[in-house]
Amino acid sequence: MTITHLFAVATIGAAVATIALPATAQIPAPASEIKVETAAVTQEKTGPSGAELWTLNCNRCHMIRSPGEFTAAQWQPILMHMRIRANIPAAQAREILKFLQAGAGK
Amino acid sequence: MIRAIPTIVNQTVAAAVVALISLLFPFAAIAQDAPSSPPPSDYVLRTEYDKLKAEHEAIKQEHEAMKQELEALKTTVQQMAKATAPAAQAEEPSAAKAAAPEGKQVVTTTPSQPVTPSTEAEAVPIETAGPLASHSFSIVGDAEVQFGKISHQHGAFMFADFAPIFLFRGGDRVLFEAGFDYTIQNNAPGSSGYATTLNLSFATLDYIINDYITFVGGNMLLPLGTYSERSAGWLNKFPDAPLPRAVLPGNGVGVQLRGGIPVGEKGQSLTYSVFVVNGPGSVDGSGSAGQLDLGGNVGFTSDGKLTNNLHGGVGEGGRVAIFWPWKPQYDLEVGLSGMSSRYDNAGKQQYSAGVVDASLHLGPSIEVKGEYMNTWVGTTDAGTINPRGWWVQGGYKLAGLKLGVPYLDKLELVGRYDTVNDDLGSRTKRGTVGAVYYVTNTLWLEGDYEFTSNHGPNPAPDDSLIFQISYGF
Repeated sequence: MTITHLFAVATIGAAVATIALPATAQIPAPASEIKVETAAVTQEKTGPSGAELWTLNCNRCHMIRSPGEFTAAQWQPILMHMRIRANIPAAQAREILKFLQAGAGK
Repeated sequence: MIRAIPTIVNQTVAAAVVALISLLFPFAAIAQDAPSSPPPSDYVLRTEYDKLKAEHEAIKQEHEAMKQELEALKTTVQQMAKATAPAAQAEEPSAAKAAAPEGKQVVTTTPSQPVTPSTEAEAVPIETAGPLASHSFSIVGDAEVQFGKISHQHGAFMFADFAPIFLFRGGDRVLFEAGFDYTIQNNAPGSSGYATTLNLSFATLDYIINDYITFVGGNMLLPLGTYSERSAGWLNKFPDAPLPRAVLPGNGVGVQLRGGIPVGEKGQSLTYSVFVVNGPGSVDGSGSAGQLDLGGNVGFTSDGKLTNNLHGGVGEGGRVAIFWPWKPQYDLEVGLSGMSSRYDNAGKQQYSAGVVDASLHLGPSIEVKGEYMNTWVGTTDAGTINPRGWWVQGGYKLAGLKLGVPYLDKLELVGRYDTVNDDLGSRTKRGTVGAVYYVTNTLWLEGDYEFTSNHGPNPAPDDSLIFQISYGF
């Protein structure tokens, strides 16, 4: 009885240790937390990029100007002018400005 | 009994061995999984692990999103290059390939199209000693040279225009902008020399209140339709304005609130502009038919004594529009605008205008746009009259045919029909056909023939052949 009891305890302990300890090392994050993080990242990337907004908005009225035609500093007043003149939403204007300044001339 | 003892001992030993092995097995497995397990003091807490795991997953998601965005951009750029720059690609493919380092993307475009920065350019950070200055200045604008031949008249270079726009940015919220038109023309017949005219097209102080509202004050282009705000020589594909624009004021002195609100995930937006200006005046102040002065009420008179509005009233108006792109270079913009103002000196006669405008792009090659406008002008001698008109124009870039023929790919065929009725007996209809050759994206050669049909006492010029060089800078 004692031997059987010891054996049973050892077996159960081994089983628990086999399952529980590795599982502890690979505990998945709570699903809700991951979803929140993922959703936040996805939401930031939703919508057209600066390059796409550049073509969408500039092409409304005129031929597209290359980012390299002006310096990063020159693009600032120009984009402000165009944002106001064409009523470009502020967030879109900021993305366009980032894109143009990334490829701006020196 | 003596036999039984070894049996029990054997069973006990066997069970103990099995139990010992069972206990050791999982630790052995863990040891195999983590052969270099850190000492207990370096273990990561579960909460820390959870956080790292979540961050790792988020970074993976972001990385995937960026990869998809990059692929979308590549596709867009390639489509633009294919659709609009077959000529350039045909002329310089080997040079472009030779200049491109392996693995680097090089996009060739026609001069009429934008030059998209290479991936190399995007990867290089902006070389500045620090953040960009909060205040900056820039000059943009346009210049035109025109040659015209009107029926029954001599042909001549008849127009030279230099129209700079000064932009001064004072921080993130303030912009001062002013546009000028310098033109020259011969003095009156019998007089020698020529005159240089300087016209202040607009001059406004803009203040960005927030993401959705911008204040504009000064001499502003009025958002009645779209033409007045988009009429620069390198924006307008024709060398002159549509006839019915004559029934609308082009600018006004006053204040304005305007902005854009995003309404979708594809770049769609709802835009608005509301303004209060002095409004139009009356040439002789009477308010009689034919005396409406759409541009002559800037707030003071030439004698310098009156600094107020000629009629003491104000003109109010605005425009609301929806811009709806559904994929790159495919979009529709529809706007509704109008204004109303007293215009005679007594402040009794009313001028009102309504405009519907639309602009459609179907890919990089096709553009169609137009406006319809109607006005209601109360007069002292002819009751309410309705000067009105409409115009529509279309353009097709031959690059869309993908012929791959040099020069043809830089050509756009354009056509326009415009008509105006002053409701005082004069009606004019005009058809225009022409072409625009894009030397670069802002240097255009334009040629147009205008067929004009006049009825009534105030005829427009006869048929005309016009060539123009336009440059946007």
